Amino acid sequence: MKGLTLRHLSKTYFDPYSGTRVDAIHDVSLQVEAGEFVSVVGPSGCGKTTILNMIAGFLPHSGGDILVGGKPVKGPGPDRGVVFQSFALFPWKTVLDNVAFGPKMRGVARAEREKIAREYLAIAGLSEAAGRYPSELSGGMQQRVGVVRALANDPDVLLMDEPFASVDAQTRMTLQEELTRIWAEKRNTVLFITHDVGEAVFLADRVVVLTKGRVLDEIKVGLPRPRKWDDANKDPEFQRLSAQVLEKVRAA
Amino acid sequence: MRRRLETTAWFMAPFAVILAAWAFVLPLFEVNPRLFPQLSQVIEAARETLADGTLIQHVGASLVRVAVGTTLAIVLAVPLGIAMGVSPVISTFISPLLRFFSVLAGIAWIPIATLWFGYGFGAITFIIFNAVFFIVTYNTLLGVSTIPMPVRNAALSLGAGPLVMLTEVLLPGALPNIVTGIRTGLGFAWRGLIAAEMIATNVGLGYMLFVARDFYRTEVIVLGMVVIGVLWLLIDRLVLAPLERATIERWGMVQRA
Ligand SMILES: Nc1ncnc2c1ncn2[C@@H]1O[C@H](COP(=O)(O)OP(=O)(O)O)[C@@H](O)[C@H]1O
Ligand SMILES: [Mg+2]
Repeated sequence: MKGLTLRHLSKTYFDPYSGTRVDAIHDVSLQVEAGEFVSVVGPSGCGKTTILNMIAGFLPHSGGDILVGGKPVKGPGPDRGVVFQSFALFPWKTVLDNVAFGPKMRGVARAEREKIAREYLAIAGLSEAAGRYPSELSGGMQQRVGVVRALANDPDVLLMDEPFASVDAQTRMTLQEELTRIWAEKRNTVLFITHDVGEAVFLADRVVVLTKGRVLDEIKVGLPRPRKWDDANKDPEFQRLSAQVLEKVRAA
Repeated sequence: MRRRLETTAWFMAPFAVILAAWAFVLPLFEVNPRLFPQLSQVIEAARETLADGTLIQHVGASLVRVAVGTTLAIVLAVPLGIAMGVSPVISTFISPLLRFFSVLAGIAWIPIATLWFGYGFGAITFIIFNAVFFIVTYNTLLGVSTIPMPVRNAALSLGAGPLVMLTEVLLPGALPNIVTGIRTGLGFAWRGLIAAEMIATNVGLGYMLFVARDFYRTEVIVLGMVVIGVLWLLIDRLVLAPLERATIERWGMVQRA
């Protein structure tokens, strides 16, 4: 497990057609410790996706450093697993082959990588679905596959960009609880991006509030794990933290 | 299985009606056989040409040309389409050519093809190639561009290199469009083939039609037309449709119309 460091990160988009520049990220410094779960929360358009795409290596950054375990990142790589809002599963592969894809890229033999994939599918309660194609699954199940596909590759850092934003409210709560349960087992380093304050607090050890491409504040979350929504909703500490984060986000 | 039978029955129904009219209504009128044959004459022509082996010879020649031309076209068009799909430079350079030549694809090439390849196999296979190549290239390009960026990014962040990207992401991702391209292209190829064979060869279904005309053998002409239509339906139903079913429909990437 490795930590993630952002030092004076900045990003300027340049639109060659209109000749305009957009300063999306100004000067973001952030340390995510090894095995820490950090949520980044902020209103739409504040630069969350831009930051995540730069860390993932999908997008070049304009200034500053991105380090994983002290090493600068260059382009996409298996040390940083990504869970996408749109799931981004391979429609032409079965659920099992989707999850086994990362290990396959690492050169793991078929029998071994299928064993790994089945273990992860079991953790997410998806054993039954192993032989099915993504199009045959509900949105919630597809995103479970998306999460374990990233985990099965055993990344140093797990990056998640509003992964539960496109599933219904009930399923979302279940997925959030499952994520805290799985994470309690694996203890990956996680950077979780969301615009949902409750979600940010419920999942994280620490919540970073982002506004207009800058870090506005950080709030520590010391709630016990594994977390359940039934407990959280009754917990005055959860209420207090959520209210505190919401205030910051709205102040933006 | 029951549904398949039912679908097939409905598909055959209109043909059955036409055949019945041909068999039972047409004989009531005195139609000049130099203008249109009776069904019985066509059946007789089929029996004759099957017996002396000429029909098989014509069909065989046509099918080989289609198979060779189409295969060559697919083998070259898919890599070109994918290269265009991943490289804006290649795409910008080739796209205008693609537009220009796609309207010419097919029989417009017959005159020059006969000068290049002489009469026969080469010229006609070239026409087929031409009809399929541009459509499959264009559809492959289209297919690659429909693969969502996050899906490609997912593969990259799971550790996929360029070769894996090609074989496990770009090719299967573009496959629905590639199959559509092949289907459309083969339709054009089949039409181009008949036209080309009327001009540029001495064997094949198109040639069979054209020569029969000189002898006012309408029963042979109509027989040839029926064979052309039936062969196309067989290729479409027995080769292309199952290919589609086994891959992209199973993946839920298209809904069966
Ligand atoms: N490709 C791009 N070109 C130009 N501007 C962009 C591009 N992508 C995002 N932006 C701008 O950068 C800012 C941050 O966007 P984004 O990172 O998507 O925010 P968030 O994910 O928090 O909603 C927005 O103002 C957006 O309009
Ligand atoms: Mg976003």
